[in-house]
Amino acid sequence: MRSYPNEHKEIVSNLLDGKFIIYPNPLFAVLQQEEFADDYKEFFKESYDYELTIENEFAYLSSNVVNEKRTRDFVLFLAILCRELDYNGKNFRDAIELGNFDFSETEQLLKQSSKWEILEKTSVADFEAFIRTWSGKNVLKRTGNQFKFTKAVKLFFEFAVNVANAKLKEQQEL
Amino acid sequence: MSNLNISGKDILRFLLNHYDFVQKAFDISKPDFIIDSDKLFQLISEYNTSSETKVSLSKITTDLKFCRQLPTGEYKLNGTYTTFLEFIFDDFVLDLPETLKNRYQAVFNHFTSLQTEKDETKAILFIREITKVIEDFLNDIQGQTYRLLRDTESLKVNAENNSDLSVRIQKANYWIDEYIIPLNAILNIDNPSSVINAIIQVQRYASEKRILADTYTLKREFEKLYASSVNAKAELDQTLSKLTRELLPLLERIKSDSIILSGFYHFVENVDNPENYIVPLPDLLRKVRANVISKTFSNEAEFYIDQFNYKTPEILYEETTEEIEWLPDSSYFKEQLLKEKEVSDFYQWCFDSLKEHTENLTLSKFFTISNLILEEDLVAEYKDETRFEIQLSDAVLKMPKVKVYEKLSE
Repeated sequence: MRSYPNEHKEIVSNLLDGKFIIYPNPLFAVLQQEEFADDYKEFFKESYDYELTIENEFAYLSSNVVNEKRTRDFVLFLAILCRELDYNGKNFRDAIELGNFDFSETEQLLKQSSKWEILEKTSVADFEAFIRTWSGKNVLKRTGNQFKFTKAVKLFFEFAVNVANAKLKEQQEL
Repeated sequence: MSNLNISGKDILRFLLNHYDFVQKAFDISKPDFIIDSDKLFQLISEYNTSSETKVSLSKITTDLKFCRQLPTGEYKLNGTYTTFLEFIFDDFVLDLPETLKNRYQAVFNHFTSLQTEKDETKAILFIREITKVIEDFLNDIQGQTYRLLRDTESLKVNAENNSDLSVRIQKANYWIDEYIIPLNAILNIDNPSSVINAIIQVQRYASEKRILADTYTLKREFEKLYASSVNAKAELDQTLSKLTRELLPLLERIKSDSIILSGFYHFVENVDNPENYIVPLPDLLRKVRANVISKTFSNEAEFYIDQFNYKTPEILYEETTEEIEWLPDSSYFKEQLLKEKEVSDFYQWCFDSLKEHTENLTLSKFFTISNLILEEDLVAEYKDETRFEIQLSDAVLKMPKVKVYEKLSE
């Protein structure tokens, strides 16, 4: 029998709960070690058919069967928030990566947006529950009346970059 | 300005009195400072109707030499004015770094001539020329850097739609590739043909000559050249750091931010048609309470659970034509058996007798006859352990060899 790290149970249950494990969480330090990284990838693949992705600053599980349908809603929320911040002349990336967001101010900002009509048909409409869901996944961190984004948000920025590049490539091919 | 017929004061008065006109002409004609004749006439007439002070085409072309007509019919603003106006309006037109390079190339040429020049008067002329070229170059590059910084800032302003974002990305790319990187090359100390290297050479030479030159006048000129080159190097270092530490990261940032916004834009616009944003969303794991996780396991579990999934049986009433099987008449066969007096292999006898009457030997027919063995007036003797097979249409029986005969009446 191979030996498991002390944090094994915590790592597995966190990831299976759909949570991101993020630097500087000590669990992330374990996952990042070469001796464990591959083992865990194999473990999740063999036991559950899930993919474990370990990025520079965070790790998460993905599955094309048991996947989070509300991811679309979160990306919509982020996209529209970035757009509104940019419209207001703010540096949206600094704001998202470093700033704190007031709960009701953010909700107001989104409601003013012309794209609210899309958001209100999604799980973002119940803003309180929405923030709770994504705090549970460690994508947001809520403190009192404020919340902030964790480093996991970079995954969604990367998604946007990939979309833009794919579009650009598509346009060039036309 | 000595080639102008009117005095400097007239020119300054013109610029002051018709400041708005000059600024409009400057703005319209940018970046090459050429203006269509129609546009110029329209500008003049509009200006003259709205302003108390008037301008006339002949005055601005002939007397003030503000602009001149080209053979193509267009008007070109006088370069002496435009340089000054760029300074006044703080609005520099970007020169391609290649143009800048050609300008400072003169430093190299004059410097080579200076080093071999024996004549003091000519040497002094070269020194002054070098100083002038360096000064001009510094002015140029400062204007350019300022302009780039300001334009970059303006790139950050609102993008109303995605085409604005594409313009941002394009501009950022263009400035990085066409201006900043070549400007860096011009200012890069490791590049032997860079202006900064020319200035360093001038500085070293002047530093030596300000002490060792033959005459006092020359020493004083070299001293000035030395000061000018030290100052130039310091200023260029500053410009370089502005470009590399401020402008380049800012542009890169604007570019990457615009790419993110553009990606989000496509995503939001096509949110109902995921195939249109090409790249799939991250497949984050959904929290599952039950442990049915693997697809195979899930399928197997579902199959298993289905076994307990009771449904009220559906009763189908089929109208079947009832077929009553013919059964042999046991009394007839008993009679036959009694006639035999003794049968050594009873079951074989049953089979054979039955076969005489029917082709279809079923289990029920066979049993109807073989049950005779139980009749009270018959004796069955059974000795042998071995069994033989009886092949019926619906079964195969393994039977022992049994002797049967009539019980003698007492």
